[in-house]
Amino acid sequence: MRRLWRVAGLLWQASPWAMWRGAAAALTVLVMGAALLGLSGWFITATGAAGLAGIGIAFDVFRPSAGVRFLALGRAGARYAERLLTHDTTLRALAKLRLALLDRLRHWPIDQLRRLRSAAELTRITADVDALDGLVLRLILPLLAGLLTHIAAFAMLWWLTVPSVALSIAGGYIFGGGLVLWLTARAALVPSKTAERSRQTLRRQVIGLFRGQRETIQQGLLPRRRDELTRSERTEQNAESRLNVIDERAGLALNLIVTLTAAAALLAGDIAVGLSTLSPAAAAIGFFAALGLAETLLPLRRGLAELGRMHDAAGRILPSETPKPAALPLPEVSPDHQTALVLDGVTVAAPGRQTPLMTALSLTLRPGETAALTGHSGLGKSTLLDAIAAVSAPLSGTVTLLGTSISDWPDEQLRRHLTLVPQRARPVGGSIRENLAIASDDLNDSAAWEALTTVELHSVVQRIGGLDATLGESGTGLSGGEARRLALARAVLRRPSVLLLDEPTEGLEGPLARRVLANLKHALPATAILIASHRRAEQEMADYLITLQSTHARK
Amino acid sequence: MRDVLTLTRPQADRLRICAILRICADLLWVVQAYAVAEVIAGWLRDGDHGVALVILFAATGVLRALLSYGAGRLVFDLGQRVVQDTRRRLLDAQTVRIDAALSSAEIAALVCDKIPLLAPYFTRFRLAMIRVRVVPVAFVLIALTQSWAVAIVLLVTGPLIPVFMALIGLAARDASARQMVEIGTVNRLLVDRIAALPDILLLGGFDRSRALFVTRVDALREKTMAVLRIAFLSSTVLELFSAIGVAMVALYVGFSLLGEITFGTWGAPLSISQGVFLLLLAPDFFQPLRDLAAAWHDKAAAEAVADELAGLNTAPALPILGLGAKATPLPGPVSICVEQADTVTRVRMPDFAIGPGESVALTGASGSGKSTCLIALAGLLPLSCGRITVMDQTLDAQNADAWRARLTLMPQHIHIPDTTLSDFLDPHGTKGDPGPALRIAHASDIVAALPHGLDTRLGELGAGVSGGEARRLLLARAFFSGADVILADEPTADLDAVTAGLIIDALRRAQDSGKTVIVASHDPLLIDAMDRAVALPEVQA
Repeated sequence: MRRLWRVAGLLWQASPWAMWRGAAAALTVLVMGAALLGLSGWFITATGAAGLAGIGIAFDVFRPSAGVRFLALGRAGARYAERLLTHDTTLRALAKLRLALLDRLRHWPIDQLRRLRSAAELTRITADVDALDGLVLRLILPLLAGLLTHIAAFAMLWWLTVPSVALSIAGGYIFGGGLVLWLTARAALVPSKTAERSRQTLRRQVIGLFRGQRETIQQGLLPRRRDELTRSERTEQNAESRLNVIDERAGLALNLIVTLTAAAALLAGDIAVGLSTLSPAAAAIGFFAALGLAETLLPLRRGLAELGRMHDAAGRILPSETPKPAALPLPEVSPDHQTALVLDGVTVAAPGRQTPLMTALSLTLRPGETAALTGHSGLGKSTLLDAIAAVSAPLSGTVTLLGTSISDWPDEQLRRHLTLVPQRARPVGGSIRENLAIASDDLNDSAAWEALTTVELHSVVQRIGGLDATLGESGTGLSGGEARRLALARAVLRRPSVLLLDEPTEGLEGPLARRVLANLKHALPATAILIASHRRAEQEMADYLITLQSTHARK
Repeated sequence: MRDVLTLTRPQADRLRICAILRICADLLWVVQAYAVAEVIAGWLRDGDHGVALVILFAATGVLRALLSYGAGRLVFDLGQRVVQDTRRRLLDAQTVRIDAALSSAEIAALVCDKIPLLAPYFTRFRLAMIRVRVVPVAFVLIALTQSWAVAIVLLVTGPLIPVFMALIGLAARDASARQMVEIGTVNRLLVDRIAALPDILLLGGFDRSRALFVTRVDALREKTMAVLRIAFLSSTVLELFSAIGVAMVALYVGFSLLGEITFGTWGAPLSISQGVFLLLLAPDFFQPLRDLAAAWHDKAAAEAVADELAGLNTAPALPILGLGAKATPLPGPVSICVEQADTVTRVRMPDFAIGPGESVALTGASGSGKSTCLIALAGLLPLSCGRITVMDQTLDAQNADAWRARLTLMPQHIHIPDTTLSDFLDPHGTKGDPGPALRIAHASDIVAALPHGLDTRLGELGAGVSGGEARRLLLARAFFSGADVILADEPTADLDAVTAGLIIDALRRAQDSGKTVIVASHDPLLIDAMDRAVALPEVQA
C-alpha cells in the first residue's frame, strides 16, 4: 500500500491548493446531501407533530423550507464545482506524472531505452498512467471527503440527537466501511496482478501472431497459435471473474452496511423516543441523515474495484525505492581540437555476449576528415558507433574525444561535441520545426531551411507545407529515406566536432546519396565524420576506408 | 461487426433476468419505506415500540443487497461472453487474411483494450436502460395511490431530466468526440516522446523536448476542460432536478401535514406515515435515471468500438487459401506452373513452369509485384483469374495447407518470434539435430556466437539477430524441415557483399540438393546464380 500512498502524494503535490479546493467542494456536496435529507425528515416529522397537536399555524415554516431549497440548489452547484475542480487537478496531476516518468527515463542508459520502443511496452506505460487517474478522483478524494463528512455529521448528530444515534451511524459507516475497504484491497491484489499479467501475455501473443502471420500460416501453425491465445484469454477472464466476485462482494457489503446502519439509527431513535429522551422529529434526523450519508460510501466501490490495478501500476510508474548513489557530476573538460577522435584497440560484443565481434580497431581522425567503416553485416558496426558515442561500453580499448577519454566527459558537454545518428533515428510527432528545435536552442527559420537544404529535404518540406507541416506519430508523413534525412538535418544543426552516422543514405538513390553527403561535408567543414556503411556512395567520399575483420575469419 | 451490440436470444433473455432481479431489488425499497414510515408515525401516535418494523426494514434491505449481488454476477458473465465471442470472430476473420488493414499493435489493442469495453455496455448501460423504463413508472404509480400531487411533482421533474440532458448532450457530443481524440493524443504524445527519447538524448535535446511536451500537454488540458465544462452541465441538470424533486415533495408533505395545503390527496388529508413514505420514495424514483446518466459514457465507448469493428469489415477480405493448419505434405515430385494468373490485388503473374532441382528469379522494377507473386505461389492470396498448378493439381483451398507443408517462405523482413532458437528451427518439435542444416545454410557461426547456443531466446526481448543472420537461420530451418520449395523475397537486399554471397551460396546448395528455388530480386549477382530469370510484365499505365 505504501506505493499507492507515494503516488497519491505525487499526484496531490502537482497542485495541492486545487486539490484541497476540490476536496472542500466534495465535502460540501456530501454534507449538503446528508443535511438535505436530515432536514427534510425533521421537517416532515415536526410538521406532522405540530399538525397532530393542532398548532400547525404557529409552526415556523419559513426557515426550514428556505433551508431545504438552499440545500437542494447549493448541493447541485457544489457538485458542478467539485467535478470541474477535481477533473482539472487530475489532468494536471497526470501531466505531472507523465513528466516525472519522462524525467526518470532520461537517466536510463540509452540502449535500455531503445528496447522500450516495442509497442506492447509503450502501451503498457500509458495504460499505467491511465490506471492511476482514478486514484485521486475515485479513491483519495471521496475517502477524505467522506471521513470529514462523518466527523461533521457525528458532531451535529451528537448535538441534535442522542449519543446512541450519533455513535451507531459513525460506528457503522467508519468501521464497517473501513473494514470492507481493507478486506477488498487485500483480496484484490493477487487476482488483479494475474489479470494484468495475462492481458500482457495475450497482447504479446496477438502481436507475435500477426507479425509472423505469413510464416505461421506457411508452417501450418495457425491453429496452434490460436489455441495458445485462447488459453491466455481464459486465464485473463478467470482472473477478471475473480475480481468481479470481489467487487460484487464489496458492493454487497457496502449495501449491507448502509441498510444495517440506517436500521441501527432507526432503532436507536426508536428506543430514545420510547424513553422520551428524544423528540420524534430529532429522531427522524438521525435516520434520514444515515440514509443521506450512504453517499459517502457507495461511490467508493468503483475506486475499490480498481485498487489492485492501481497498486500494480504504481509499482511500475514509481522510481525504484533505492535511489541511485548520486555520482558526482563530472567536471567540464577542455576540448583539444588537434585530434577529433582516437580509437585505441577497441572491440565490441553483441548485447549480452562476451565474445568480440571484430578484431581490435585503432584509428585517428582529425577535424574535417571522413572515414567509412565497412564490413559485412553482423560485424558490429552499429555497436561500435554506440561504444564511441558512450551509449554502451566497449569490450576493450579506449575512445578519446578531443583529447579526453570518452568516459571522462560530462554527458551534456559530450553531446555538444559528438552526435550519433543511429540507423533507426526517428522524427517525433509534431511539426518539422519542432523536430528541428530539439536539436537547437535558438532555431530560426533561415537556419532551419539551411539544414533542410543540406540534406536535400527542402523541396519535400515545401511540398508538404513548410516548417509548420505536422508529422504524425513517429514521423508518419515522411518516407523512410526522408525521415532519415530529417534526422541528419538535426545533426547538422548540432554542428558537432565528431559526427557518427549509421547507414545514413540507406534507401536513397545513388546520385541523391552522393549529393547529401557532399553537402554535409561542405556544411560541416571542421567536423570529423565516421560513417558505418556498406554502400558505395559513402565509401567514395571517405578519406579513409576501414574494413572491420571478423574474429571468426582469423580462426 | 456493428452487430456486436446486439445480443443473441439466450443472451437477451439472460439480460432480462438480470434486469428483473435488479428491478425487484429497486422495488423492495417500497417495503423498506413503508416500514420506516410506520415506525416514525408510531413515534408520534403513542411512542409504541417499532422493533418488528425495524427488523422488517433491515431484512428487506439485506434481501435487496443479495438480489443486486446476484444480478451483478449474472450480468458480468454475460459481458464476458460477448467479449469472448467478439474476440473470437475478429481473430477468425483477421488471422486468415494477409491484407490486414491494421498493424499488429492495433489488432492487439482491439483485442486487449477495446473489445473489453463492450462488456460495460451490457452490464451497465443496457441494464440501466431497462430499469429506467420500469422503476420510475412504478414509483410514480405507487406515489399516485397516496397523493396525486406528489405523483405530478415526480412526473414533471423526472421526464424533464432526459429532455435537458439530451439538449446539453447534443451540444457536448461533438465537443466530447474531439475530447476523446485529445485524451488519446496525450497518451500518443507520451508514447511518441518515449520512443524518440534515445534520439533526443543523443542530440542533448531533453530539456527542449520536455518544454515542447509541457506546452502541448497544457494546451490539451485547456481544451479538454472547455469540453468538460459543458459536459458536466448535463449531469448537473440531473442533480438539480432530482434535488428539486425531493425538496418539492418534502415541502408539499410538510405543508400538507400542517394543514396549509389541502389538495393533492384522495379525500382524507395526508397522514404522517404517508408523508414519510412519499419522502422516502422520491430519491429512489430518480436513482435509475442517475445510473443511466453514469452509464452513458459506457454506451459511447462501446459504440466507438463497434464502429471500428464495423469499419474493418467494409474492406473486402482477401482470405488465404486453406486454414494455415498442419497437413500431410502434397505427394509427388515438385512441379509448379503459372498460367494467365492475376491476383485479386490485380498483379499479373508471369507464366512459367518449374520442376524439382530448378531455380528461377522473378525480376522486375520495384512495385511491379514480385513479392505479391511469391505470396500467391504460397497460396496466401487468391487469384481473380488464371491458375497456379502445383504437383499437377490446381492450387485451391483444399490442397493449400498440404502444398505449404512442402515449402518455405522467406519474407524480406523476417519476424523473429519470441522463442528459443531451437524452437524457431524446429517448430513442430521433431527433436532432430539441426547441426547439418545450420552448416549448409552457413549459420553454424551464428549459433556459436549466441550466449546459450540453441537455447538462446530470440525475439524483441532476447538476443537480437541481424537481418542477414535471420535469413540464414530461416534457410537452415528450410533445410531442417525438408521443405523442397524455397520462396525467397529479396534475400540479398540491404546486405553487404560477403553476407549476400553467403546467402546466394546457401541457395545454390539448396538447389544442388534437389530443392526448387524461386527468388524475387533485382540483385544481378543473385539473378545470375539462378537457372533463369522471368521478368514480370511491365505495369500498364
